[in-house]
Amino acid sequence: MQRMFMRRVGLALLLMLAATALTFWLVTAAPGNVAALIAERAAGAGADGEMIAKIADDLGLNDPLPVRYARWLGDALTGDFGVSLRTGKPMAEEFAERIPMTLALLAGGGVLALVLSLAMGIAGAASNGGIVDRVLHGLALVGASTPNFFVAAMLVIVFSVWLGMVPTFGVAGLTSWLLPWITIALFPASVLARVVRVNLQDTMSRPFATTGFAKGLTRSAVLLREALPNIAIPYMTTFGAQFTLMIIGAIVVERVFGLNGVGAFFIEAIRFRDFIGMQAILTLFVVFFVSINLLVDVLAMLADPRLRRPRKA
Amino acid sequence: MSRHSQNGPIYEVEGLVIDLYTPTVSVRAVDGAGFYVAPGETLAIVGESGSGKTVMTLGPLGLLPEGVAVDLRGTARADGKDILSMSPTDLSRLRGGFFGVIFQDPMSALNPMLKIGPQLAEQARRFAGLSATEARKEAVSLLARSGIPDPEDRYDRYPHELSGGMLQRAMIALALAARPRVLIADEPTTALDATVQAQILALIRQIQKEDGIAVILITHDIGAVSVLADRVAVLYAGQVAEEGSAIDVLTAPVHPYTRGLLASVPDFRSDNATGTKEIPGIPPNQAQLEPGCRFADRCELVQPQCRTHRPPLVKVGAGSVPHRVACPVVIAAEGIVTHD
Ligand SMILES: Nc1ncnc2c1ncn2[C@@H]1O[C@H](COP(=O)(O)OP(=O)(O)OP(=O)(O)O)[C@@H](O)[C@H]1O
Ligand code: SF4
Ligand SMILES: [Mg+2]
Repeated sequence: MQRMFMRRVGLALLLMLAATALTFWLVTAAPGNVAALIAERAAGAGADGEMIAKIADDLGLNDPLPVRYARWLGDALTGDFGVSLRTGKPMAEEFAERIPMTLALLAGGGVLALVLSLAMGIAGAASNGGIVDRVLHGLALVGASTPNFFVAAMLVIVFSVWLGMVPTFGVAGLTSWLLPWITIALFPASVLARVVRVNLQDTMSRPFATTGFAKGLTRSAVLLREALPNIAIPYMTTFGAQFTLMIIGAIVVERVFGLNGVGAFFIEAIRFRDFIGMQAILTLFVVFFVSINLLVDVLAMLADPRLRRPRKA
Repeated sequence: MSRHSQNGPIYEVEGLVIDLYTPTVSVRAVDGAGFYVAPGETLAIVGESGSGKTVMTLGPLGLLPEGVAVDLRGTARADGKDILSMSPTDLSRLRGGFFGVIFQDPMSALNPMLKIGPQLAEQARRFAGLSATEARKEAVSLLARSGIPDPEDRYDRYPHELSGGMLQRAMIALALAARPRVLIADEPTTALDATVQAQILALIRQIQKEDGIAVILITHDIGAVSVLADRVAVLYAGQVAEEGSAIDVLTAPVHPYTRGLLASVPDFRSDNATGTKEIPGIPPNQAQLEPGCRFADRCELVQPQCRTHRPPLVKVGAGSVPHRVACPVVIAAEGIVTHD
């Protein structure tokens, strides 16, 4: 168990290293010259070749790629992600302002996806082919096939414009979070509801479920107490995957709802060819992906008694 | 308590018909079969794989796996009460408290995510009315009684931490925790090592003796039948071919299928010790119902009327335990006295 855990952590660190190196290479290989961009910003049209060369030299842009990556990594490890070419502010500062916003979006969306998917999946399994089951199945299919910008638009039209219920733009108290949360949670909730439903159905036809009935439990008790713990592991794994994907959703959702998170910043960084900003945000995404997956792996290991307490030989 | 006398049946099933439907097949798994068991008695149900032993015994209790649609007719009574018309809640309570069930494969029949002991304690609390501390003690002593060493330690174990034999003992303890009146053991030793099999059977016999409960033993193991059973029912293609006291059925079988079944058992009777004889042919397709005797296609004694008339179960001999056989041909040919 402990060795397995250490191996996962080691693997996670290696993955982060490889992924940041890859993004570093891709970002630097992208068309556009950082030195030229900086010179242009500083001197407008008056930037000449000499000035650009000097800036490139100052920034170490002429060093070989591995050297530059090593320098970038050393800085990043101390929390220095460079200065945004677009805003002129250190990325560390941008992070401090924007990460809480994105985290609030993801956390709220994650909780909503969790609650919705469990409720829908369990209600479907309890109904077991009945009308509730079929309606929920339909809803999950719709939810899993509707793009989030469309969901956002619909929600805004219905709730804000027609019903005048919640503000559509920016952050103004808890209610303004509702639409972004619903938008970002709908897809993962739909996918996860199916995972819950299908796995519960499968588990209910396993022999130990029959034992549960033989113990005198009602069907709903068998469902909740015997079957549900057995879907914990597939559920957690899928939840982890869906939760990491929500960061992609955040890019769109933050834009649509005017939230100043890292997702919105990423779009701007691309538009302004802010290579420093892009690299910083991509690094953040990589760290998020890898650490959520690591967390889920560890939690799934802890949830499974067969892994938590391997049988002594 | 019971409307029945001490020796009247405590679980009885009559004229049971069970059709199973899956998206691909529909099968008449049980076709007008029945059985009964009295307190303190062990009934063995034998028959080939697929003959309907499990479906007949557990079907009336609603213990067939989900995913199969079940259409069930006939009568089934537990302690005189009609099971088939019970509300789901009442039936749940009956399953938990009145019946104890041991399944074939303890590895898959015990929930891998749940500790052994607390499940026993909960049964004792819910059905035997014990307090939480009493129930825990009861669970530990049940584990001990089922032959599990160091029961205090095993109480908090998960199924994967126990061997197959120990798990089946735990399963037995679980089945007994609610202090049931009827213990159903569905091939309780098939999944176990040969050395463990005898121990498990001995344990079931010991419990049966001590508690005086009714036991239904579903098995392929004729040796186990001869050791444990008071009465035997032989099932063929969803119908009872023969039933009676273990002595009658094992030593004086009448139905050609029973005779074939016993002849195919090595070392069961000395005159067969040297060579065993399988019954030729395969059981009929239970998805296609034909009139007449289900055994006709494999029977050496088959007569034309066997294929048109379903043979009734007829009482033969004059023993105190009814011996019934569904084969008029042998009864007539051997001049066996009937009592109906
Ligand atoms: N889950 C199921 N789905 C479809 N058909 C089933 C199912 N369970 C049983 N049957 C069918 O019902 C009939 C009786 O099965 P049953 O399990 O009662 O036999 P059995 O005598 O207990 O056999 P075994 O000795 O193999 O346990 C068989 O024809 C079988 O194919
Ligand atoms: S009724 Fe006929 S076919 Fe059936 S067992 Fe008897 S002799 Fe054989
Ligand atoms: Mg069976």
